[in-house]
Amino acid sequence: MNEQSIEKVVNGIKAIRNAPAALRLSMEICVKCGTCAKECPIYFGKSERDLNPAARSDLIRKIYNRFYTPAGKLKHLFNGTAPPVSKEELEEWAKVFYECTACRRCARFCPMGLDNSVITRKGRALLDSVDMTPPFLLKVIEASLKTGNTDGAPPIALQEAAKFLEEEIKEEAGVDVKIPVDKDHADVFFVPPSGDILVNPESVMGTAKVFHILGVDWTMSSKAFDGANYGLFTGNDEAMKEDNKLYIEEAKRIGCKTLMMGECGHAHRIMKFMMEKAKWWGELPFEITNILQFTAKAVQEGKIKFDKSRNPDPVTYHDPCNFGRSCNIVDEPRIIIKACCADYREMTPSGSENWCCGGGGGLSAMDSIKEFRMTISGRKKVEQVKATGAKYVASPCSNCKRQFTQLMEHHELDVGTGGLHDLVSNAILYE
Amino acid sequence: MTAFERFVLHFLPYATIVLFLVGMIYRLRIWSRLPQPSMTLFPQPSGGDKKGILAEVFFFPKLFRSDRVLWSLAWIFHIALALIAIGHLRVIVDFSFLWEAIGMTPADVDSMSATLGGAAGIVILVVLLGTIARRMVLQRVREISTGGDWIALFLLLAILTTGNMMRFRDHFDLSQTRDWFLALITFSQATLPPGGAFIWHIFLGQLLFIYIPYSKILHFGGIFFSQTAIHRS
Repeated sequence: MNEQSIEKVVNGIKAIRNAPAALRLSMEICVKCGTCAKECPIYFGKSERDLNPAARSDLIRKIYNRFYTPAGKLKHLFNGTAPPVSKEELEEWAKVFYECTACRRCARFCPMGLDNSVITRKGRALLDSVDMTPPFLLKVIEASLKTGNTDGAPPIALQEAAKFLEEEIKEEAGVDVKIPVDKDHADVFFVPPSGDILVNPESVMGTAKVFHILGVDWTMSSKAFDGANYGLFTGNDEAMKEDNKLYIEEAKRIGCKTLMMGECGHAHRIMKFMMEKAKWWGELPFEITNILQFTAKAVQEGKIKFDKSRNPDPVTYHDPCNFGRSCNIVDEPRIIIKACCADYREMTPSGSENWCCGGGGGLSAMDSIKEFRMTISGRKKVEQVKATGAKYVASPCSNCKRQFTQLMEHHELDVGTGGLHDLVSNAILYE
Repeated sequence: MTAFERFVLHFLPYATIVLFLVGMIYRLRIWSRLPQPSMTLFPQPSGGDKKGILAEVFFFPKLFRSDRVLWSLAWIFHIALALIAIGHLRVIVDFSFLWEAIGMTPADVDSMSATLGGAAGIVILVVLLGTIARRMVLQRVREISTGGDWIALFLLLAILTTGNMMRFRDHFDLSQTRDWFLALITFSQATLPPGGAFIWHIFLGQLLFIYIPYSKILHFGGIFFSQTAIHRS
């Protein structure tokens, strides 16, 4: 880091003057009422100033004010020649902007309609512009741009996994359920997170069974089987768009009518609200929907049936931030889970008011802050899960699943975790 | 009249009006022109349509879900403030035609003003003291408070205190301020009886008006834009 880095950061903050309303208004009309802190999982975990959302946002606001508000300019007159931000402060930023999970629970309650996650992402983007993004996240982005998936797995990984899962299903139920990879043409192009191929494949098994029963013409792509896109987390818009490009190309090549997103909230959010609604690539020749919406609709129409007794344990549902708050997919997972589980326990609060698992915004993947995730950001979630008495937390998000697995181990709780279609997979009937 | 009184009554009002209007037009114009790209769906409990936005602006339902104490303070404060603002219109001109139309005698109007205005003045003072106490006592609010937050609160406290002194101690006669406003418009120089809290009330009140467009107090304007921004998807 050098003088130019500081200048770059300061210029980035000055540019907020021309930023979209959501960011600029966050600079100008916060009334400091403290509601965000009251609703923040991290501030709940540890109530100190560094972790107060408004204080974190003030790091950027303070510099913005110095250039654009009468009071800020006046203060600057007295402070004289001090630079707007020092090297030491920037190093502190690198820590605190990754102590926010960008879960947007504060935005859910802010009476002014502001969103601290927008500022967090801006803070991370400024850090990224001066090469101060945590190295691990940079590696993930690099791998994703190179291989099309965040794990850096070769195409054969998906091909082999699909074969293996087909055999599993055959063995378990005696049914030939296809898991098609790289078909030339299909109605549905299914994009899971790579975690659901390489770490928790039960979810993809469940999905394949649903498609099988409904007779869907579908495929996955061995070049593009991971919707995860870490540019959202590091604030790097170019990387985010570049990472997304492969998917529009694959979708067009396959000629799909539907791009079906899997159990991954942030991937769905990017595809649905940026790729489609913000028209990153113009008008799309296909629709974008989510497997949760698809399966829930089939359940409601009575097209799939379950044997609930195969999921006898009490189950609770965790709303991943990106589904619950950013995509408004709240009812659908509950329709599915109530149809296929014998004992469903609702969390309090739930839906768009649900607490973050403590691993959002890319934090879940970072082992360097595991202690923070276990003892501070995940503290509220552990209490919530305990209160339900559930033995299994279902969450359609690879980051949540990783965080839950570690949380339960750390807090020595006998609670399993997995996706939603894992439960579907257990209980689905082939009649 | 002292030099200070002449400054407050004859010069400052013109500066106040100019600074207030310039600031307001500048800021609201900029806000209304900010780009609002179609982006991710935001949490939108109240629907996201025009009705939902108005509900957010006038009833703070999101705050109600989160913090009933703060909601009560905030809502009562703003309602009392609105009453007081409406009441202050009579400081400029008495709406005698309106009172005649609804069949109220001047005595009725004065008694309504004394009751409603007096109550609002006391209630808002209590609520404001509660807000100041909250900001001092609650760690999560205290640790994020900056100079601007305290200035706004204590400026209001001083204005409300002097206003209540005028009502309950000085028994101020509104015809004097009406004459003063008339004099301002005609650029003649009215005089006011010296003494009492009035000169301080009118001085601080003008400071507030100058301060509004350049401070967080303009959240009442910004909220329309922020709610519009987040409710679009």
